[in-house]
Amino acid sequence: MIARWSLASILLHWASAAVIVALLAIGWSLSRLFDAPTRFDLYQLHKSLGVLALALTVARLAARALTKAPPPFPGAAWEMRAARWTHVALYALTGVAILAGWVTASSAPLPIPTVVFGLFPWPDIAPRDPRVFAVASLTHAWAAYGLAVLAALHAGAALKHVLWERDGVMRRMV
Amino acid sequence: MRPMKLCFAAALSLAAFAADAKSNWVIDPARTHINFAVDAAGWPRTSGEFRKFEGRISVDFERPERSHVDFTVQTHSVELGSTSFDSFVRGVAMLDSDKFPTMSFISTKIEKTSERTVHVEGDLTMRGVTKPLAVDVEVRRVDGRLEFSAHAHLDRLEWDFNSGYPIISRDVEIDITSAAKET
Repeated sequence: MIARWSLASILLHWASAAVIVALLAIGWSLSRLFDAPTRFDLYQLHKSLGVLALALTVARLAARALTKAPPPFPGAAWEMRAARWTHVALYALTGVAILAGWVTASSAPLPIPTVVFGLFPWPDIAPRDPRVFAVASLTHAWAAYGLAVLAALHAGAALKHVLWERDGVMRRMV
Repeated sequence: MRPMKLCFAAALSLAAFAADAKSNWVIDPARTHINFAVDAAGWPRTSGEFRKFEGRISVDFERPERSHVDFTVQTHSVELGSTSFDSFVRGVAMLDSDKFPTMSFISTKIEKTSERTVHVEGDLTMRGVTKPLAVDVEVRRVDGRLEFSAHAHLDRLEWDFNSGYPIISRDVEIDITSAAKET
């Protein structure tokens, strides 16, 4: 019997994955495609999904702290090291991308309020300052690019275990 | 009749004649489009349209300089193609429709510049600030209608409308096509 992640961790992992992939896709395309009104709507959706990603990330950290994590899956030393650092970096970049996005929305020169999915207002955490905005939006973009690369690496590694090694690693998370 | 009285009678009849030479027209909403466009850094060109407005024109075809135009736009009727975008533009950061429900243009001087064009000078009131604005208008009479189109640029900073500047351009392009019916 393979030691699995807790049900809470599994559900939160896949919910986060879906939200983060959507955020990356919208974030990349909204500054490149679409006309002005569609782009405006996508910005609002992107901010709402960002708040959801923040909530999911906090819940994941709580679930990880409160439930028992399965022991690391045995493998080659380099693989275990790579997996460990990819996971740490995934958490870190997710956090940086979300927080920098929040600062970006807060400091943006146009005061467009964040109303999460049109339901409730979300507070700002930074002054409306063009210098803060410049640093935050750059940080947000690079954290997102880094996160996209790591997420691809993470998903690629998972697929390698499923399709190539067929060792049951994936079953820990489903 | 004493000369004074004669003069007065002449003035009266002249005034009557002048009144006769004037015709009154109202804007036909179905044939009117009031559009604007602004540019912004890192953002596609944004254009919108005002859906609710009213306008009256009095035209003196003999003496065009006696003509008069009066236009009022309901700022809350602005549409940009997305409801959330609309509410942002109606909101305090932009048009502030609750505080400034209307925008108006009242002509102060009209000059015929060619068979088909007139130069209209007037006062535009936007967000409570009134400043002069001059517009060249092309006019045509079609099937008893008065059709006109105007294309103008304004510098919104003159109206202290500086939201989002310099990211959003100070230049606002205005395009109006309209038709008026005689009343």
